[in-house]
Amino acid sequence: MKTRFNSALQTLQFNTQSMVKSAVRSLLLSLKSTLIALLEKINQQSLIKGMAFVLPLAMLFLCVGPTPAAQAQEAVLTPRQVVEYALTLEKLEADFYRRAVAAAQNGGLAGVPQAAKDVIVSYGQDEAQHVTDLSAVLPSLGGNPNAIRIPTNPNYAAILGRDPFANPADFLLVGQYVEDLGVAAYKGQVQNLLAAGEAGKTVLAAALAIHSVEARHAAGVRFLRNSLLGADVNPWISANASSSEVIYNENRMGSPIPFSTAAFDGYATRSEVLALVGPVLTEAPMTNRPTPMPTPQPSTTQPPTNNSPRALW
Amino acid sequence: MTSQNALPTSRRGLMKWGLWGLGGLMVATLPKAAIAQSNMTLTFNANDEGILNFALLLEELEAAFYAAAVSSGKISDSKELEYVKELGAQEAAHVTFLRSVLGDMVLFETADLSFNSAGLNAILKDRNTILNTAVTLEDVGVHAYNGAGPSLTNPTYLLAAGSIVSVEARHAGGVRALLGRPTTEPDSDRLISDADLVASLNPFKGRAYDELYSPKQVVAIVGSLGILNNPINGSLVA
Repeated sequence: MKTRFNSALQTLQFNTQSMVKSAVRSLLLSLKSTLIALLEKINQQSLIKGMAFVLPLAMLFLCVGPTPAAQAQEAVLTPRQVVEYALTLEKLEADFYRRAVAAAQNGGLAGVPQAAKDVIVSYGQDEAQHVTDLSAVLPSLGGNPNAIRIPTNPNYAAILGRDPFANPADFLLVGQYVEDLGVAAYKGQVQNLLAAGEAGKTVLAAALAIHSVEARHAAGVRFLRNSLLGADVNPWISANASSSEVIYNENRMGSPIPFSTAAFDGYATRSEVLALVGPVLTEAPMTNRPTPMPTPQPSTTQPPTNNSPRALW
Repeated sequence: MTSQNALPTSRRGLMKWGLWGLGGLMVATLPKAAIAQSNMTLTFNANDEGILNFALLLEELEAAFYAAAVSSGKISDSKELEYVKELGAQEAAHVTFLRSVLGDMVLFETADLSFNSAGLNAILKDRNTILNTAVTLEDVGVHAYNGAGPSLTNPTYLLAAGSIVSVEARHAGGVRALLGRPTTEPDSDRLISDADLVASLNPFKGRAYDELYSPKQVVAIVGSLGILNNPINGSLVA
């Protein structure tokens, strides 16, 4: 949460014209300590509950900046760093679907229609393929795919504050969040890969080829939520989407690209994505581990522990 | 692309082919001389300007197709009609955006495009044909944007293309789901075979990837649909 706020602050500081910069900055800095204290409290609660509060606030801060920003204002990642980051997310996605496949066989998702089970299996295969192929590319960039680890039991309960594999409604909602975020995460890296010039071309091609498939997954999960559960959601992201529809800053303001409209998807920077994914990238407390049985889990979530593999970056 | 029938040149003729939206725009904004079909050749150079104009052409085709699909009256299911209308609106938004970004660099006006009536009629034949054509157009649009991405040099253009292509992929997935087809593209649906893919653009291929098509390959596919009379050339598509 701190990371995301700092990122928003940096973006604002970068964008603000010099005339208003110092005044706004001093105001922001005075608010920053208060906000961080607040965010730490929110962090004790579930990720999503926190999001509902933090996102509008973060967006408000971003809106203050008068200068169009069409780029992610963060340190430029190398192609190797992009692949390591992407591989982490893909390993998490592949693991997420593996658990869903298990829950569809004899757990909380056993009752979903066969068409939905086919989707779970198919999307899981796609994510596993991404893991395989990104892992094969990484050594050529000087990296080691085996060094990119996710927890044995990622804390998926951090997303909704409960086991997402216990019933179709929770699973598909989390699936929507995960896939939409995956799309935004890949989109957030295309400029970094372009900046790498020829050295980034192959990874850019790979990232683009994956990016739109994640969007197809997102569309498919959204379609299932609508057709199976009657959720008021479309394959595309709504204009001015709420924080209950997307968990990242989809409606980024101040860009020449109209991200808040339905025809344009937003992006997320690495620090924004990791702030959201960080709580999941911790070992789940025993009480929150998904079980094969559709046992309702208590909605109390442990705060993230300190063994986060975010140190990888 | 050389022997298509001439399009009707009157306002009434355009309405007849269901392009009332396009026709209205043309009549409202262009002199009569421009309404008469000139079969303007579209020349796309291998640079950012050419790529964005090529993207604009694809968006114009999609927008015109969805407008015609709505007007055809062949889509009666309310959810399907809602999709077709919404997708058409989003493609129109892409057209508006690209024209705005290109500004003086726009190579053609909407009215410069000459649609082939027989070709349009064929893809508007019935509900199944319309929705399956939508899948083809959206799938090809995704491959086309992906393929153009690594050639763009302006980072804002690349981000904008990324912002659009994932929406095209959502369209493809959504219409595929409506039809009960898989939301990702099976290799058997792909119009460019593995052997014909440009190797340098495609480190990965298969269902888990939306392969990168070259502009030349996209032009060949668009040509095979038989809906556009304008000749296309230039270094981008050579």
